[in-house]
Amino acid sequence: MLRITGGRVYDPANNINGEIKDICISDGRIVSDVEGGRTIDATGTIVFPGGVDVHTHVAGAALNFARAMIPEDHRRSAPMLRTAHRRGGIGGSTPTTFVTGYLYAGMGWTTVNEAAVPILSARHTHEELRDTPIVDKTCCVLMANNEILLDLLEAGEIERARHVAAWQIWAAKAYGVKAVNPGGVAAWKWGKDAKGLFEPVPGYDKVTPAKIIAALAGIVDGLGLPHPLHLHCNNLGAPGNYNTTLETMKVLEGNRAHLAHLQYHAYGGDDWFTMKSESAKIADAFNANKNLTTDAGAVLFGDTVTITADGPWQHLLYKLTGRKWGNLDVENETGCGIVPYTYKEKNLVNAVQWAVGLELLLLIDDPWRIYLTTDHPNGAAFWRYPEIIHLLMNADFRREQLKALAPKALKRILLPELDREYTLFEIAIITSAGPARSLGLPHKGHLGIGADADVAIFNDTPDVQRMFAYPRYVIKGGEVVLEEGEIRNVVEGRGYVVHPSYDEKVEDYIRPLFQQYYTMSFENYPVEVERLENPHINSCKSEG
Amino acid sequence: MGGKVTCTLGEVKNRADLIIYWGGNPAECHPRHFTKYTLTQKGKFIPKGRKDRTMILVDIRETPSAKAADIFLQVRPNKDFEVLSALRALVKGQRIDAARAAETGLTVEQLQDFADRMKQARFGVLFFGMGLSMTRGKHMNSAALLSLAAELNAFTKFVAMPMRGHGNVTGGDVIMRWTTGYPFGVNLSRGYPRFNPGEFSTVDLLLRGDNDAALILGADPGATMPQPAIDHLARIPTITLDPKVTHTSRLSRVHITTAATGISAPGTVYRMDEIPLPLRPPLKSPYPTDEEVVRRIYKAVAKKPMWLPLLEPTAKG
Repeated sequence: MLRITGGRVYDPANNINGEIKDICISDGRIVSDVEGGRTIDATGTIVFPGGVDVHTHVAGAALNFARAMIPEDHRRSAPMLRTAHRRGGIGGSTPTTFVTGYLYAGMGWTTVNEAAVPILSARHTHEELRDTPIVDKTCCVLMANNEILLDLLEAGEIERARHVAAWQIWAAKAYGVKAVNPGGVAAWKWGKDAKGLFEPVPGYDKVTPAKIIAALAGIVDGLGLPHPLHLHCNNLGAPGNYNTTLETMKVLEGNRAHLAHLQYHAYGGDDWFTMKSESAKIADAFNANKNLTTDAGAVLFGDTVTITADGPWQHLLYKLTGRKWGNLDVENETGCGIVPYTYKEKNLVNAVQWAVGLELLLLIDDPWRIYLTTDHPNGAAFWRYPEIIHLLMNADFRREQLKALAPKALKRILLPELDREYTLFEIAIITSAGPARSLGLPHKGHLGIGADADVAIFNDTPDVQRMFAYPRYVIKGGEVVLEEGEIRNVVEGRGYVVHPSYDEKVEDYIRPLFQQYYTMSFENYPVEVERLENPHINSCKSEG
Repeated sequence: MGGKVTCTLGEVKNRADLIIYWGGNPAECHPRHFTKYTLTQKGKFIPKGRKDRTMILVDIRETPSAKAADIFLQVRPNKDFEVLSALRALVKGQRIDAARAAETGLTVEQLQDFADRMKQARFGVLFFGMGLSMTRGKHMNSAALLSLAAELNAFTKFVAMPMRGHGNVTGGDVIMRWTTGYPFGVNLSRGYPRFNPGEFSTVDLLLRGDNDAALILGADPGATMPQPAIDHLARIPTITLDPKVTHTSRLSRVHITTAATGISAPGTVYRMDEIPLPLRPPLKSPYPTDEEVVRRIYKAVAKKPMWLPLLEPTAKG
């Protein structure tokens, strides 16, 4: 039992905006009152629900591939030493699994969504998530380039595709469905890409990216999954791609969707020399489409490594930068590409990217629909979130930062004109309440009675960046895991999984195809539920 | 330069029309490779199986794998790097010197034909073995081959994959990466992982005599390592966990017999393309699994006072 007393509480889901009130915790949940137990005097602090990351890459074959590729990054990053409470490891752009848990919890974040999981290597992803302590985990399975599904769409068999998709979601022990560059990664298997939403995907006659998007969004909604289709649009990173993004919003009409890392999809111009921000057009369209949520995918200057299932884009990035290139095509399902990258202030393209991430956060009017992410590690490592919070809350600081950009860049962006400053209440929305709602986790992202007792307590100081980087206390599931800036108690997290209903006979359809196209026994394909740490299974019974 | 352009084995089965093995002898060392993944299987886009594929073997001698190949290219020993460099030049349309090419054991015509075939393939794959990665040039040979594969993607689809073996070495590599950030050669003595192949790899530690104890799991260094390394293992307390008595067991202070993973113990094995496969043991064993033994050792060690590396240098410096 625990009582947090005297803190200023920001709990947007319950409309509590900086009220001084007690938070009581018993058996891992928020309760109305407790008698006895420990009391934390939180006078002079602010109290937030634990952070929720709606889009990050923290586990699995692709990230682990990246780890092997960048020993030079590990060497220059601060090591985390073994203590009596925690294991040693490496931080940097691709932290080791245990350190990932410590770093997230260490800044008050308690739930993460691993955004890209192939079914074929999902067992690996779950093993890594199991070794990621403290935080609760969800993950999204990659589907928009799954050839069994694409073949069904080509044949017009939408109903069967729905059952196959549901089977696959459960096979991967996933929580949501991810679509990356729909059709483009399948085309990449022949070294091609899918750039036009309404042009057939190479290798198909009828399947277009638009059809894949519409079909998957419909399937996700039809199955009643708690999180909408998690969509990485076509043409990521390309100048002029805002048109594709606007068209995608139209294709989605009527269905829910979460547009991942919107920053990478809001560029104008014709080429790298004329690239500019189109965040205003994207934000306007987004504001009008209430069926959508998004995350920023903001960029910060510095070294990182880019990891995405978008294979063709990574080949281009390798050709542009001449740096290392990792590529891993996953049979019949998806691919991934890895390129180390440095975002530089004086680089026009990078300056536009940096500005667009912030512009979208400032121009999208409903904080409940846009969430703080860097598409870790693509835009920057997740442990740099406090820097973005500082930029959002302080317009003067932002203007100061603009001075570092090349003067030419200022004509390509809107940021100098934006005066909006985020309030603490809004920060609590974009870092916790909003993403929890989008993920469909009713016990997360708030401090109402019955919520999971995931709480972050920060010293109330004017130095916002420091405040959000170093919480005073972090409580996960009712246990105090961090005190006085130090991890002192490492608890295990949970794995959230969905089990949508499907016709069991669909297995008879999948098995022969699997035996023909894959290279392992069908029995070894689905991940055993025992592989998950503390699985919480949602059977999607609220289906409408 | 750097990185790796690769895929899972099913992509090779479904798409590869040009299969190159370099410095390896799969017919004898990976006997199921041809039939399960690469040559003889029919694939989604390779309807006629073997007839739709071309296989090239590059090696310093004619091994039994050459029988399976359409083209066998015999390279002079220690000239792999030169051949790869010549191919990288030809692929980009640059000229190469005929006399220098001849030193590799191949003619310019052979090299040009090889480069053309790679560029004209729809989906090509380069498998490379220890005949490339562990001979003169070592990691530079691997880097040259991986660069060739990456650069070919400017023309067509091309991937590369090392022919790994030795049980679950890939699994060890994968797990070391997620727990320490590095694949091998990791030193944890300072309380955090440090990586330096050549300094912290097992052979180097043993040759210098840096370690004062050894726990050997799923390996038989007593049979494969250089004699001075073996001598050091015999000098220090060495504990070996293995289902059978190995060369290493004989020089160990303690040998603990464990259940054989995959036969009488469950677990996970990572295929050479890093796809994890669950192991379902058909038999029961009277012996504990490796995991049980390690957990019990850890439990006993954990009773000792916590040792932490010094964060500050001592007064003595």
